[in-house]
Amino acid sequence: MFLNSWSLTLCLCSLVVFFLLAFASRTAVRVLRFWNPASDSNRQIRLENEIWLSSTMVAYGLGFQIVSLLLFVLAANHYCQMIVGAMCATGALTANSFGVPALMVKVAGVFLYGFWIVMHQLDIRSERYPLVRVKYIFLLLLLPLLFVDISLQTLYISGLKPDIITSCCAVVFSSSSGTGSQSFLANVSQQTLLVLFYSGIAALFTCGILLLRYKHALLAGLYSLLWMVFFGVAIVTIIAALSSYIYAMPYHNCPFCIFKTQYYYIGFAIFGTLIPAVFLGISLSLVQLFLGKSDLVFYIRKFQTYAVCFSLLFLTVFAFLSSYHYIVYKIMGGEV
Amino acid sequence: MLIELESVTKIYNKGRPNEVKALTGVSLTIEPQTMVCLKGASGSGKSTLLSIVGCVFPPTSGRASIAGKQLSRLPDRFLTIHRRETIGFIFQQFNILPGLTVMDNITLPLLPLGVSPRERRKKARILTEQLSITHRENFLANQISGGELQRVAIARALINNPPIILADEPTAHLDSRLSMEFMSIMNDLRLAGKTIIIASHDTLVTDHPQVHHIVGVKDGRIHVP
Amino acid sequence: MLKTVFEKHLNILDYSLSSLWRRRLKNASVLLVFAGVIFLLASFQMVTQALTQLAKDSLENTPEITIQRMSAGRQEAIPLAYMDELSTIFGIQKVVPRIWGYYFDEANLANYTVMGLDVSAMPFGKKLNLALREGRFPEREGTGESVIGQSVYTAKDLKNRRVISFFRPDLSLKSFKVVGIFSSIVDLLTSDLIVMNIEDARDLFAIAPGFVTDLCVYVANPMEVDTIAKKIADRLSDTRVLTRSQIMKTYQVVFGWRSGFASVCLLTALAAFIILAWDKASGLSPEERREISILKILGWETTDVLAVRFWESFLVAALAFVIGCTFAYIHVAFFDATLFRPVLLGWSVIYPSFQLIPNISVDDLLLIFCFTVIPYLAATVIPAWRCAIVPADSAIR
Repeated sequence: MFLNSWSLTLCLCSLVVFFLLAFASRTAVRVLRFWNPASDSNRQIRLENEIWLSSTMVAYGLGFQIVSLLLFVLAANHYCQMIVGAMCATGALTANSFGVPALMVKVAGVFLYGFWIVMHQLDIRSERYPLVRVKYIFLLLLLPLLFVDISLQTLYISGLKPDIITSCCAVVFSSSSGTGSQSFLANVSQQTLLVLFYSGIAALFTCGILLLRYKHALLAGLYSLLWMVFFGVAIVTIIAALSSYIYAMPYHNCPFCIFKTQYYYIGFAIFGTLIPAVFLGISLSLVQLFLGKSDLVFYIRKFQTYAVCFSLLFLTVFAFLSSYHYIVYKIMGGEV
Repeated sequence: MLIELESVTKIYNKGRPNEVKALTGVSLTIEPQTMVCLKGASGSGKSTLLSIVGCVFPPTSGRASIAGKQLSRLPDRFLTIHRRETIGFIFQQFNILPGLTVMDNITLPLLPLGVSPRERRKKARILTEQLSITHRENFLANQISGGELQRVAIARALINNPPIILADEPTAHLDSRLSMEFMSIMNDLRLAGKTIIIASHDTLVTDHPQVHHIVGVKDGRIHVP
Repeated sequence: MLKTVFEKHLNILDYSLSSLWRRRLKNASVLLVFAGVIFLLASFQMVTQALTQLAKDSLENTPEITIQRMSAGRQEAIPLAYMDELSTIFGIQKVVPRIWGYYFDEANLANYTVMGLDVSAMPFGKKLNLALREGRFPEREGTGESVIGQSVYTAKDLKNRRVISFFRPDLSLKSFKVVGIFSSIVDLLTSDLIVMNIEDARDLFAIAPGFVTDLCVYVANPMEVDTIAKKIADRLSDTRVLTRSQIMKTYQVVFGWRSGFASVCLLTALAAFIILAWDKASGLSPEERREISILKILGWETTDVLAVRFWESFLVAALAFVIGCTFAYIHVAFFDATLFRPVLLGWSVIYPSFQLIPNISVDDLLLIFCFTVIPYLAATVIPAWRCAIVPADSAIR
C-alpha cells in the first residue's frame, strides 16, 4: 500500500535520513583514511570543516528519525482504518511480521543516533579530538541499521493489503482482532506489574541519588542496567496495566491508542519523557568507556551529573503522567 | 610575554603547485601594555602575521603562543574560542554590517556567548558613552559618518574586554584629524592595560610618539628598518 | 551553563530573524513557492480528510450489514424469502428489504441513484427526517411519492413543480409526487438520490414480485456485527455480506489512494522546489560571504553560523507551512476545493455540491509538515555548511 500519503511520507523521510547519513559516512571514510592532526594541508583543513557537516547531518538525521518514529505510530493508527480486522494500531502493526520489528529498529535508531551526538559533543570539547576515530567508526556501523530500518519499513508497507470490498463474499475474518500482545501479557498479573513498576521507579531514584554522591563506575553501570530493565517493565506496565485506566475500559490494553486525540495525546507525553530518561540513563555508563581519555574526564563527569539529574527529572514527570489516571481512579474509587 | 612567536612559518596550499610561503622563520615577542606597529607593503606577509597573532589560523610550523595558549595545530573551534576571549579586531574597511544598527553591530561578538539582550545593551552602553557615540546607537551602520564608523569598530573590538587589540590599516580611510584621534584613543586603551598592535604604513601611525616598537615585514621575514 | 546555551540559541534565533528580514526579497521568493507547494498538498490532504469525515457521518445511519445476492459474479435480485432464513439468527434487530439501483436520465445525461425502501421500518426512520431540507419521507401506503436529492432537484429544473417522471424499461412513463428534498448537509450520499416506496421502485425497474436488490440488516450490539455477518454468510451461501465498517474502510482506501496518487504527482512540484531552494541557498553573494567571515573572525564558531542557517530555513519553512495550510483551509472550506474537485470526486456524472468541512487533526498537520519541511531542511544542510565554512581570514585580506 504505497499509494497512500502516510506511506509516501514515511518513505520520503527514510530517504532523507538515508541521504543525510550516507553523506555523513562519506566524511567518516575520509576522516578514517586521511585524518592527521599534525598536518596543515588543505585536505586536513577541509576534513576539520567536514566534521561540522557530518555532525549537523547526524543531528538532523536524529531529529528526522524521531519525527519519523512519531509518523510511523500515527501511520499505524491510520492504516488500521483500512486493514482487515485491525481495530487499532496494534492490529495494523501486526498485520504482517515486519511492523513490530520496524518499530523497534526505529526506536533503536533514535537511541544510537543520540549516542553519536553525545560522543560528538564530548569529542569537540578537547583540542585533540580524541574520539574522532571511534565516533566515525560508530557512524559507519549505523549505516547497516538504517538499511535494516528502511528495508523493514518498505517490506511492512508493501505487505499491507487494504480491505477492499471484493466481488465475492466480502466478509473476511482475520484471527488478529487487535491486541496481539494480550496473550503474552495475560500471564502476568496486573498487580505484579504495578509492584515491579513502582519499585523500579524507587530503585532508580535511590540509585540516581547515590550516584550523584558517589561517582563510582559500578554504580553508574547498575544505574544504566536498571534503566534498561525499567524500559521494558515500563512499556509492559503501560500496555497491560496503566493504559486501561487511561482508556477507562478494563479490557482495552492498546499501546497506541494513547497517542490519539481522544486521550489528549497523553502517549506522546508519556513516551516523550520515558525515552529521553532511558537514553540519558544508558548513555551515562556508555561515556564511562571514554574515561581513559584524560582531557575528557572533566566533561564526562559533568555530562554524567547532568544525565543523572535530567533522567531523574524526566522520571518524575513520567511517573506522574503515567500513573495519573491510575491514582485518580484509586482515589476516587472509580471513574470520574 | 603576551605574544611569543618562535621561527613561525606559514605555507598556504602546502604540497600543491600553487604553494605560497607567506612567512618564514619569524620570531617576535610583544610585551603587555605596549603599542607595536607592523609595517610592510602589501604581499609582504603582514596580513598573515596579523592573522597568526590574531588566532585566525595556526602557523604551519614553529611555536606561537598568544596570551598563554599554544596555537600550533589547534583546531579551528578552539582558535575561535581563544580569539574571542583575547583579541579585539579593528579592520581596514571597518567591516561593519550595513543592515544592522550600531548597537547590534557592537554586540555581535556577544551573541554566541549567550549574553542576554539586556546585558548586551548594558555592556555596549558603557563603551558608546566612552566613545561618545551613544546618540548613534539606533542608527543603521550605513547612515553614520566614517569617523563614527571607526568608533563603532573600536567599541565592537572592546566589547569582550580582550587584552589585545589588533588593528589592520585602521587609518586608511580616515583624514589626518580622525587618524590622530584614533591614535589617541588607542593610547588611552594602552594606558588602561591593553596591548595594541597596528598594521599600517601610514606615517601618522608609524611616526606616532606613543608607538613603542616598529616591526618591519618584508618577503615573509621580520626586517629591522 | 544550560542557561547560557539557551540564551545563545535565543540570540542566534534573533540574529536569524534580522538576517531574514534584511534579505527579505530573496527569501520571499522561496517562501512563496514553498507556501504554494504546501498549499497544494495540504488542500489534497484536507479534501481527503473532509470527504472521509463526510462519508463517516453519512454512513452513520446506514445499516450495519447489507446482503446482496450474487450470481455469476454479478449482483442479482434477492428473494424476500431469504428474510426467513435470517429471522432465526440471534442478535439481528431488524431486516429491511431495499431496492437500490441507478436510473440514467437521457435528457440530462445524468445518473440518479434510486432507493426504494420502507423508511418507517428502519430503526432510525424517524431521525432520518432531519436529513431533509423540506417535506417528509414517503408514507408506507403512499404510492407515487418520492424524496429527491439536491442535484436531481437542480437537474430536473423543478423549481416549484413537485412532480417528476421517469421511464420504465418498456418506456412507459411513471410519475412521482415529490414530497421531500434532501438537505445539502448529507449531499455526499444523497445528492443524486431518489427515495421512494419499495413497490414503486419495483414497478419502475420492473423487478419480479417477491424480489428486492438487497437486504439491510440492523444489529443491536455493534460488537456482534462481524459474528452475525459471518453467520449470514454461512447460511446464505450465494450472497455477498457487506458490513458498514468494511464500506467505511473501502471509502478510506479509495480516498487514501487518491490522495496518495495526488501526493505522487505533487512530488514533482516538491522536487522542483527543493532544487530551487538548494540553488537559492547555494548562491552566496559577496556581501553574504563577507558577513559570515566578519562573524567568524569576531568569534562565531562554524556551528553558530550553521545554527543561524538552520533557524533561517526553519523559520521560512514554518512560515510557509502556516501560510500554505491556512490558504488550503480557506480553499477547501470556503471555496469547496474548486481546484481539485474533479480529481477527488467523480463517481457520478453530476457532482454533488456539498459543503466540505476540513476536520484537521494534529496527525494531518504532522503529515504535511514531514512531507514538505523535512526534505526542505535536508536540502539546505549542504549549502548552509558551505556558507558556514567561509574562512575567518577572508575578513582581513
